[in-house]
Amino acid sequence: MSSLHAIPADAADQVFTALGDGTRRAIVKLVAQGPQSVSALAGALNVTLTAITQHLHVLQTCGLLRTHKVGRTRMCELDRKGLDVLNHWVAFNRKMWEQRFDALGRILQEDAKDS
Amino acid sequence: MTQAAQFDTFTFERTFTAPLARVYRAFSDPREKQRWFAEGEQHEIEQYDMEFKVGGRELACYRFKPGTPFAGVELKSDGYFLDIVPEQRIVAAATMAMAERRFSASLHTFEFFSDGPNTTRLIFTHQAMYGEGADGPELRRNGWQQLLDQLHAALAVESKAV
Repeated sequence: MSSLHAIPADAADQVFTALGDGTRRAIVKLVAQGPQSVSALAGALNVTLTAITQHLHVLQTCGLLRTHKVGRTRMCELDRKGLDVLNHWVAFNRKMWEQRFDALGRILQEDAKDS
Repeated sequence: MTQAAQFDTFTFERTFTAPLARVYRAFSDPREKQRWFAEGEQHEIEQYDMEFKVGGRELACYRFKPGTPFAGVELKSDGYFLDIVPEQRIVAAATMAMAERRFSASLHTFEFFSDGPNTTRLIFTHQAMYGEGADGPELRRNGWQQLLDQLHAALAVESKAV
């Protein structure tokens, strides 16, 4: 069976660039556990609001994060567009069946040689 | 958070150099089917049972080998045959579960066509529903954790190369 983590190359470039920064990786890890406010993220990571806003912008651009307002608080949550786990499962299922039919083709060929 | 079910359909067409009866036997005989359906390099087979009749069950249980992305994790498929027309069509419905979390339910239709005495065409249609398990917080987190680990590894290699 194939790896579940085949990432489309073009989308992966942007995502990997965005995740090439330690603070942004930390943001992704935090929001992966549940929505967080911008100020909570800044506090948890000990960076300024200006700095966190810039990081959030980069993550939003490549589809890893989205924000919405709750009252006067801006909340950040993981965006499934960046890397959709569902796509991995779909790809996994397709690949699995492809490999099965490859195996069947090989078995049928071997049998034909034997007989 | 409730996640809506998501759907995906795909179709494969394959041509095998073998008579139709021979290809069909690879689907109807449990031991023959295990060879191509259940065996794989990345997992051990813990169970494979198939009762080839309408209403018969097909149960497969695998465990991913060390060194694979989900090492030690159990993957289980559990299904039933809904329709069998010998040497023409097989329809089965099955669920897939990873670590006891069901993440998909799917309908598998196999259609067999004889294109010559030694040529058999198979059309396989896979219609699936993916539920919470496919994109649940836990799996999503695992996926992310793995991505981040891969990224760390990739960056480490890169920085060494510089």
